[in-house]
Amino acid sequence: MTISVAPGPDTQEGTRTGTAESTDSLTAPDIPWNLVIWNDPVNLMSYVSYVFQSYFGYSESKANKLMMEVHKKGRSIVSSGSKEQVERHAVAMHGFGLWATVEKASGGPGGNSGKSGGPGQGRGKRG
Amino acid sequence: MAKAFKYGLKGITGYLEPAERDLLRSLINDVISMLQPEERAGQDPLAALIGLDMDVAEPSDRAVKRLLPNVMKDDGAASLEFRQLTERSLRETKIGALRAAALDLDKDEIVLSPDGARHWSMALNDVRLVLAERLDIQDEEDAEHVHLMQDWSQAEDVESYLALVYNFATWLQESLVQAMLQSLDTRR
Repeated sequence: MTISVAPGPDTQEGTRTGTAESTDSLTAPDIPWNLVIWNDPVNLMSYVSYVFQSYFGYSESKANKLMMEVHKKGRSIVSSGSKEQVERHAVAMHGFGLWATVEKASGGPGGNSGKSGGPGQGRGKRG
Repeated sequence: MAKAFKYGLKGITGYLEPAERDLLRSLINDVISMLQPEERAGQDPLAALIGLDMDVAEPSDRAVKRLLPNVMKDDGAASLEFRQLTERSLRETKIGALRAAALDLDKDEIVLSPDGARHWSMALNDVRLVLAERLDIQDEEDAEHVHLMQDWSQAEDVESYLALVYNFATWLQESLVQAMLQSLDTRR
């Protein structure tokens, strides 16, 4: 992700008051599929946080935490549920232009490796 | 010069010069033409109507593939099956947002509803994703390099011109998203 030439207010994490962290099901043990968002150098950090807040209804602090995880670790699991649920979310994320894939919650494709090159776009750094 | 989007009593407003609007309109139209599904002879009209496309293939153009990525990282067959069910409607969603943004370009002052702002942010994002592929931005270092191009008097070749256009679209999207985040705060 990228930070830009931001006009207007600084929105570094913590400069705005967020609502309380909502309880969520990210750590529920019996959920079989995950929605993964991958880092890319184009999507704005502010936009990714906006999508997490507006689409999933996450608090600002939770959205920023997930966004920073994508940015720093290369990927983040942002939602879990049935295969149909996470696939629906993936299409919505693709609509927003975010790089999303679905995977089985444990031992699925990609696993939890932090520094993978992205969801099989088959592009290496050239030149 | 364009004015950054801001959130106020009228909603989200912005201002673009005629030349900037022409530029954005042509960028948007380029992305729309990349996303238009091909109409093939012998296509099942009922399948097309409900959004199924059994002949769909993984896009060969990198930019199109970035707009319409595989849904599974290491499973091409499952991703292709998913494309058959969803790609046509994803293309239509994107084209819808792009067309909505293009329509707003008919006036100097842009006044956006919450839905309009969402369409604009999606459209600008897709425009930037396509430009980034053309500029070969593959990592943060490439992005920083492109970001350094800020002076229009330096535009001497296609690449530097594209970089300036990309930076303009980035600036515009960032200002829009900041205004959208403010409006989210207000509505909470």
